[in-house]
Amino acid sequence: MGRRLLGGWAVLVYVFLYAPIAVVVVFAFNGGRQVLNWEGFSTKWFGEALRDPTITEPFRNSLIIASGNAVAAAALGTLLALALPRMPRLLRTPLDALVYMTLVTPEIVFGISALIFFVQIGIPLGMKTVLVSHVVFNASVVALIVRARFVGMGQSLEEASYDLGAGPVSTFRQVTLPRLAPAILAGSLLAFTFSFDDFITSFFVSGAGTTTLPIRIFSALRFGVSPVINATAVMILGLTVAAIVLAYLVLRRTDQARRRAAVVPGL
Amino acid sequence: MPDQRSIWERTYNRKGFVAISALTALTAACGSDDDGDSAAGGTTTETTKELGGTLHYYNWADYVNPKTYPAFTTATGVKIKKDFFVSNEDLQAKLQGGARGYDLAAPTGYMVKILAEADLLEPIDWAKIPNATKNIDPKFKGLPFDPNDEWSVAKDWGTTGFVYRTDLVKEKPVSWRDFYDLATGPYSKKVTVLDGAPEVIGSTLVMLGHSYNSEDESELEQAKQEMLKLKPHLLAITSTEYKQMAIAGRAVLSLGWNGDGAAVAAKKPAEYIVAEEGGEFWVDSYVIPTGSKNPDAAHAWIDYVYDPAHNAVETEFTYYGSPVKRDLLKPVIDPEVFNNTDVFPEPSTIEKLEANAISPKGTKLRDRIWTEFKAA
Amino acid sequence: MAGRSGVGGPRYPAWLALPGAAWYALFFLGPLGIMAVFSVSRREGYTDVVYDFSLENFRYLWDPLYGDVFLRTFGLATFGTAATLLVGFPFAYYLARYARRKTLLLLLVIVPFWTSFLIRTYSWLIILSPDFVLFRFLRDIGVTGEDFSLIYTREAIYIGVVYNYLPLMVLPLYAALERMDWTLVDAAQDLGDRPLTAFRRVTLPLVLPGLIVGCLLVFIPLTGEYLIPVILGGDLTVFAGNLIAQQFLTARDWPFGAAIAMVVIGAMTVMILAFTRLAAREEQYGG
Repeated sequence: MGRRLLGGWAVLVYVFLYAPIAVVVVFAFNGGRQVLNWEGFSTKWFGEALRDPTITEPFRNSLIIASGNAVAAAALGTLLALALPRMPRLLRTPLDALVYMTLVTPEIVFGISALIFFVQIGIPLGMKTVLVSHVVFNASVVALIVRARFVGMGQSLEEASYDLGAGPVSTFRQVTLPRLAPAILAGSLLAFTFSFDDFITSFFVSGAGTTTLPIRIFSALRFGVSPVINATAVMILGLTVAAIVLAYLVLRRTDQARRRAAVVPGL
Repeated sequence: MPDQRSIWERTYNRKGFVAISALTALTAACGSDDDGDSAAGGTTTETTKELGGTLHYYNWADYVNPKTYPAFTTATGVKIKKDFFVSNEDLQAKLQGGARGYDLAAPTGYMVKILAEADLLEPIDWAKIPNATKNIDPKFKGLPFDPNDEWSVAKDWGTTGFVYRTDLVKEKPVSWRDFYDLATGPYSKKVTVLDGAPEVIGSTLVMLGHSYNSEDESELEQAKQEMLKLKPHLLAITSTEYKQMAIAGRAVLSLGWNGDGAAVAAKKPAEYIVAEEGGEFWVDSYVIPTGSKNPDAAHAWIDYVYDPAHNAVETEFTYYGSPVKRDLLKPVIDPEVFNNTDVFPEPSTIEKLEANAISPKGTKLRDRIWTEFKAA
Repeated sequence: MAGRSGVGGPRYPAWLALPGAAWYALFFLGPLGIMAVFSVSRREGYTDVVYDFSLENFRYLWDPLYGDVFLRTFGLATFGTAATLLVGFPFAYYLARYARRKTLLLLLVIVPFWTSFLIRTYSWLIILSPDFVLFRFLRDIGVTGEDFSLIYTREAIYIGVVYNYLPLMVLPLYAALERMDWTLVDAAQDLGDRPLTAFRRVTLPLVLPGLIVGCLLVFIPLTGEYLIPVILGGDLTVFAGNLIAQQFLTARDWPFGAAIAMVVIGAMTVMILAFTRLAAREEQYGG
């Protein structure tokens, strides 16, 4: 009985979560411009979005920034995750606090501080400053995810590797890294997503020449919901879902392969 | 004609104009070619400079006729990159924040002064803009915020008042007092005001018989009390969505700008009113921000739009007054727009208006009131 | 280099943390530091900032008007945390304990958040609009009155907040619940506990860390939220985030804005330090 109730609640929550998405998707296909009236099915807004350089250019910028940021965040975050658990408490508590701080600091505060910082130091605003700022919180995202996995991993395989005479670096490369890979991947994916969707920080540190997609969407939305913007959002949604499905399939394949390999006697 | 110089200062936060349609129109139009406007009569100068390069234009949204962009590119070979701001303070924050690379922007007069004083502008070379030199109405030269025309060239001008739906409002409001009474009365929750401290506070000050630019604390306190009484009756505080709300009928009374008012009136039964007690008068001007990479292109744009035929195209789209000499405009502009007193207010209307000239002290006092107003 | 033994994975040297720490120091602490300097400066004229040490900004802040704003912000953050907890906990519980295809269901929670935050929030404006199907329907069947409208109201802000912050609460809750050994709960019930008591005595303590993380992840960023009140609330209410944004974008009084930000940062730091001390102790004494 309780289980049924909970299940019902879950369904309601999903409806709640997808209501705005449904609206976005439906009106991306709405032939009419006015969002409140349905005027027939049409895919013209998608075409318009793709043809519009004021949309495709910011999209490209966002993609570049998000990817660069994912790589940097993955590297920095993983290193942090590896080093933190065994650090002396004196060093670990402040660093830990920093990791959390970068995650929860309200963006308005961080965005503006970063802006002032770059200006005072004399660093020109643009793609680089956006990327650098994004990495600040995304490295923490990766660090947290990888650390959770790392701490729960157990060391028997590593110890076996040392017993067999492998040095620390090759142990890391051949034993630890593959086992951490899913967590690193998951972290990078999240880092990519957060960067791609980021608005407030990007708004402040992007300077004159750089428009990211969320900034562009914001300028459009100030004046009312637009079908072209909806179409853009749907396309991005489609792209991300496709990417995730792809990653999932790839991971499952390698996972299966690895599991098959592990059955091989000897290890 | 009385000396109108003092009125030409302005102040206010102007935020963008409406419309989804603007943006979609913008994207649609970027692909289409402009239907050749007839350039009969008037002094049409050929802009034959083949410049190439890119013009990075930082502007209010929905403030340039979408047709003008491709036309300009065709005429000069310069490609245009656009970014939009929603308020003068946005622009200032960005420029002060170190954004470089914009070639052209169009802030309101008081902001021109602030930016110039902060060394954020590059000088205008009038030799490069013969059209402007020839066609500009002399009233728009030597304005108080830029007495030597070093930093700016007027783009357009307008007023701040309110627009109301004549079919949804039984009464005929003509003053700020009317606006307040109707808002706190029968039309509660169907009223919007601009998201701008100077405009809302200024209009209220004027209603009480004080100056739009007052920095007297007791006068400001009175204005604040009135505003606090108004607050619970508001539908929203917005500078960008009220046009839409008025057209949809969700808002029947909106404190706003003449261009938006005229735009609403073009679609639905509505009237834009410059209140009896007074209000604000403003001029927006082209400036070249510091760090511009292509100032020549910026000058070329200014020159291009000062061609009366091109300027007419602009005015027909934005519904804001043109700084080009009236008689040059007449032959090339839609007569309805030309005679529309919302677009080109009568001198008598303008006389009772003031321009924004708020001091730093006044700004700080207004910030405080605005916070209280919003927090109420 | 890498040692052996001990709980928590292989031992890696502390200096590996250097790149990350350096990045934080330069691009996070640096900005916050300059913000701190600004908070004790003052504005001169229209644009200049003068650096003579002065606590004037903070004195200006010590005022019932701003106190109200902070209180209201605290209220919003508390409400948001409580609401997402109430909505999210049963949901996460179901997912962790009873659902099959957990990964898929979890992904389905995250997918909506791959559309732009702005678009999602603006879409709520449409859904809540009196002219849209939902409320037209409710009016037709008589549930809501003719004049009832949720747009630009406090309620709309609450809905937007719960919507956007739900995943932040659900994910840590799910992570904690997923690791639960449900047989313990069954055992407790077998031994005579009623379901609710079993929950309180067995499940809750084990889930607590995840719950606290969820609360932190929602509460703290919520204190700086400012877009949702603007978009869904018609910009009619001022929270701390709006106040800060206003100072920088409209009032151009950066030092004052910095002072407000410092207050928010200060409160936040205290909370986080308390949390990390707690979490560290947990890790040490088992949990």
